[in-house]
Amino acid sequence: MSRFTVPIGPQHPLLKEPLSFQLTLEGEEVVDSVIRLGYVHRGIERLSEKRTYIQNVHLVERVCGICSHVHTTTYCMGVESLAGVTVPVRGLYLRTFFCELERIHSHLLWLGVLAKNLGFDTVFMYAWRDREIVLDIMEELSGGRVSHAANVIGGVRVDINDSQRKTMTVSLKSLSQKITDLRNIVEHETNFHARTRDIGTLTAEQIRQYCIVGPIARASNVDVDMRRDVPYNLYEKFDFSVITRSEGDVWARTTLRIQEAQESIKICLQILDSLPPGAVAVRAKRRVPPGEVICRSEAPRGELLYYIQSDGSDRPARIKIRTPTLPSLAILPDLLRGINMADVSAVVSGVDLCIACVDR
Amino acid sequence: MSFKVLVFPGFGFLFCLAMLAEWIDRRMIARFQGRVGPPVFQPLADFIKLLGKEDLLPTGVNEKLMAALPLISLAACLTAGMYIPVAGVSVNNFEGDLIVVLFLLSLPSLLYFLAGWSSIGIYSILGGNRALLQFFSYEVPFLLALSGPAILNSSWNITDIMVNQSTSIWAIFVLPVGFMLAFFGLIGKLKRDPLDIPKAQSEIVAGPLTEFSGRKLAIWHLANQIQTVVGIFLLVDTYFGGGVIESRLATFLLFSFLALLILVSLSVMSAMYARLRIDQLARLGWKRLIPLSLLQIAFIVWMGKGF
Repeated sequence: MSRFTVPIGPQHPLLKEPLSFQLTLEGEEVVDSVIRLGYVHRGIERLSEKRTYIQNVHLVERVCGICSHVHTTTYCMGVESLAGVTVPVRGLYLRTFFCELERIHSHLLWLGVLAKNLGFDTVFMYAWRDREIVLDIMEELSGGRVSHAANVIGGVRVDINDSQRKTMTVSLKSLSQKITDLRNIVEHETNFHARTRDIGTLTAEQIRQYCIVGPIARASNVDVDMRRDVPYNLYEKFDFSVITRSEGDVWARTTLRIQEAQESIKICLQILDSLPPGAVAVRAKRRVPPGEVICRSEAPRGELLYYIQSDGSDRPARIKIRTPTLPSLAILPDLLRGINMADVSAVVSGVDLCIACVDR
Repeated sequence: MSFKVLVFPGFGFLFCLAMLAEWIDRRMIARFQGRVGPPVFQPLADFIKLLGKEDLLPTGVNEKLMAALPLISLAACLTAGMYIPVAGVSVNNFEGDLIVVLFLLSLPSLLYFLAGWSSIGIYSILGGNRALLQFFSYEVPFLLALSGPAILNSSWNITDIMVNQSTSIWAIFVLPVGFMLAFFGLIGKLKRDPLDIPKAQSEIVAGPLTEFSGRKLAIWHLANQIQTVVGIFLLVDTYFGGGVIESRLATFLLFSFLALLILVSLSVMSAMYARLRIDQLARLGWKRLIPLSLLQIAFIVWMGKGF
């Protein structure tokens, strides 16, 4: 049978962000693929050298539209350790609270996108409807649904009062119930099984070879989680479990993410329960002493790394951002080879690409 | 006669029902998914809006063929509607019209493939191939399932099958499996979720209809909606005896109720399941459904009814 090329992207119903694939097909089988990137490159790393440390908080927030808070958290952690600023405990609690809300939000969004790409619109609608609970909480606290601008160097600029704590506990508990319902739907729908089981399977060997991180690694039985391995933001104080699965296919990643969202709700409830009193932020100096720092955190999609170099002025000399989804993008051509054209949607959504993060 | 053809139960009636059925379907799915859904005139508004849109075609296609395909598809669906009794009333009938109706209802699927093939677009060609593969998977069980009531009632005339059942027993009570197969076949024929494989949005954009726009697209959609209504009526007539009872009003109410029931079941199926892959559908069709439908025919013969 003759070969032909199918273009997917930069605009295509499969992709929510601009990315381009050239798939070479033989019949319905994908034999080769070429990926093109760079449609949302904004030069954020270079821009950050032209701006002050304070301005950069808002700049790095724009790296990603979904995990915006974890970017500012990691950046602020780095600058604070360079400048020797100690964040008040209440501030750290609130930072963690936002990080975990963002994880729930990201995982539910991903579940919706996967379901939509498999033609399962009902789960898409349910997941995005339930995600609204999290967005509402974040909007109530910070004023922003997606970009919160919650972090400042030295702490956070948001605070929770007692009545908010009560209503948020109630709504998070109802969200936990709704996520359980979603899990039941996904686990009992036979077509969903047929479309995700043994699709896009990654072995632990491949995960290590390509340095893949986050939920995808954990679904292939590679037990990594920055929150437990290098505790930051007082994560060691909270009781949560790192979930791993051994199958390594899209199905394992789906259930793993749903379970992780449940764990995040657990952390959020603990934070609301034991929030200590006190200030949420301290003042930091504009200038940062010379030095360099690497700091890592667990973004919803895996390990996020910031390298910050300071020359003693009020502007950073160099900022390097390593986002979690770049290695998952590198393995895509391997995953796409030899599969059915209809499974491309499951495989591509399965690795949870964040093109804005990758391109920066 | 011309009133029957053009108004009731002919074209005008079918057009209104198609719009109504689309609204009920969209509204039901929206409610299942926790949304509000469109207002009642939305399908009509969509239709009129599409009629007024610019009609573009890729360069190099056979323009006459591209214009003719949706029209033939619509004509086939409307003609099929002529032989299907609505609440006991049909425009026309003759011995063997079931076979003609089944052929006319399968025509849009073939034209759909042809539309993909003649569009010269990658997505359209892929969609067209899938449409043809899907056609072979659902059409055989659908035909065998609908021949069940015909053999049971010793007639290939839809009106006779219907009238005969009103004095004996509804075919669904004798052949529940046959109804399931016919229902499944109808989903495949209408290319609805979960069998919307030829037009799977996240894979091949809009399948064979990717290159269609404006008037032509509007007519494709209308043909599909009329096919939905005609297909549902066909199931009601063959498997539920058309709901015919003594009083005209009671017949009308029962017929509407049964048709609505099937429509809502279609919506439930759409909301409940994820899309299958084409090879999974082919396996399901040839390994499960076709043997099942052959067993059903054997069952009828064993009962000593037909032949």
